[in-house]
Amino acid sequence: MDNLTINFFELAAQGWRPAVEILILWSVIYHILLFLEGTRAIQVLRGVIVLVISFFLFQRLGFMTLDWLLTKLFGISVIAILIIFQPELRQGLARLGQRNLFGTVMKEEEIEAMLQQIFTACEALCREKQGALIVIENKNTLNEYIENGVMVDGRVSAELIEAVFTPKNPLHDGGMIIQHGRIAAAACLFPLTQNQTLSRIFGTRHRAALGLSEETDAVVIVVSEERQDMSLVYGSKLHKDLNREELISRIQEILKAKNG
Amino acid sequence: MAKERFFHKLIRWTRSHPWLKLIALILAIMVWFYIRDEINRFNF
Repeated sequence: MDNLTINFFELAAQGWRPAVEILILWSVIYHILLFLEGTRAIQVLRGVIVLVISFFLFQRLGFMTLDWLLTKLFGISVIAILIIFQPELRQGLARLGQRNLFGTVMKEEEIEAMLQQIFTACEALCREKQGALIVIENKNTLNEYIENGVMVDGRVSAELIEAVFTPKNPLHDGGMIIQHGRIAAAACLFPLTQNQTLSRIFGTRHRAALGLSEETDAVVIVVSEERQDMSLVYGSKLHKDLNREELISRIQEILKAKNG
Repeated sequence: MAKERFFHKLIRWTRSHPWLKLIALILAIMVWFYIRDEINRFNF
């Protein structure tokens, strides 16, 4: 403990440079954690953080045996981490080349404009008795579902959404994913819910929406071609019989919570 | 107005992922001290 006190005095004596270094390190570590949050890797990372904190404490308290043991463990854990985090590392490196790595927060006006376009399209699809499955990414990344669909990377517009869900369009089967305010992909496949209590009036589209909401915190909008209505699926729950304004305000609240 | 907006942004920033920020800060301080000790040990 005395060592730690001395360290903090030394730190203060060194002026502003250590503070800037720690701030930069903090930002880098925070963005790595933020990137991994919502993926399966975060559970492994929690274990790694516990090990790192233990290692630091053992070293400071002079527990030589445990310190030696953890030092050796870290030596071989580099290879283990590379294997365990392989999918996340691949996605992370792929994202480095994309925009929005550090600027994923959307403004409220942008969210509203995006939702207006989506619901204009949904209402048109309802009138034309066509179905649609639109997913808006929340905190959990949907990259693994985007990768199994067809990349679009287009601006959210009512016309584009209607065009995608037109029955003869090759992309109309499956769901559309909106990520960072852009249509990232279409014809994406989602896991079906195993919920046996779901009414039989709901088809595959609703089951896929529920299945995705059970695995992620995504916001899913389902347009039913049989009943010509719109439903919101979020947090493993299906909210039906909502009008356009109610749907927009609910989704805005969910996405506002995401942006802090 | 600008002051209000600044505080609003600051509150939003602190409310978004507070635990993640705290863990990241603890890790950053630990990493900094560890690296500095390593540098001192080998006297680069």
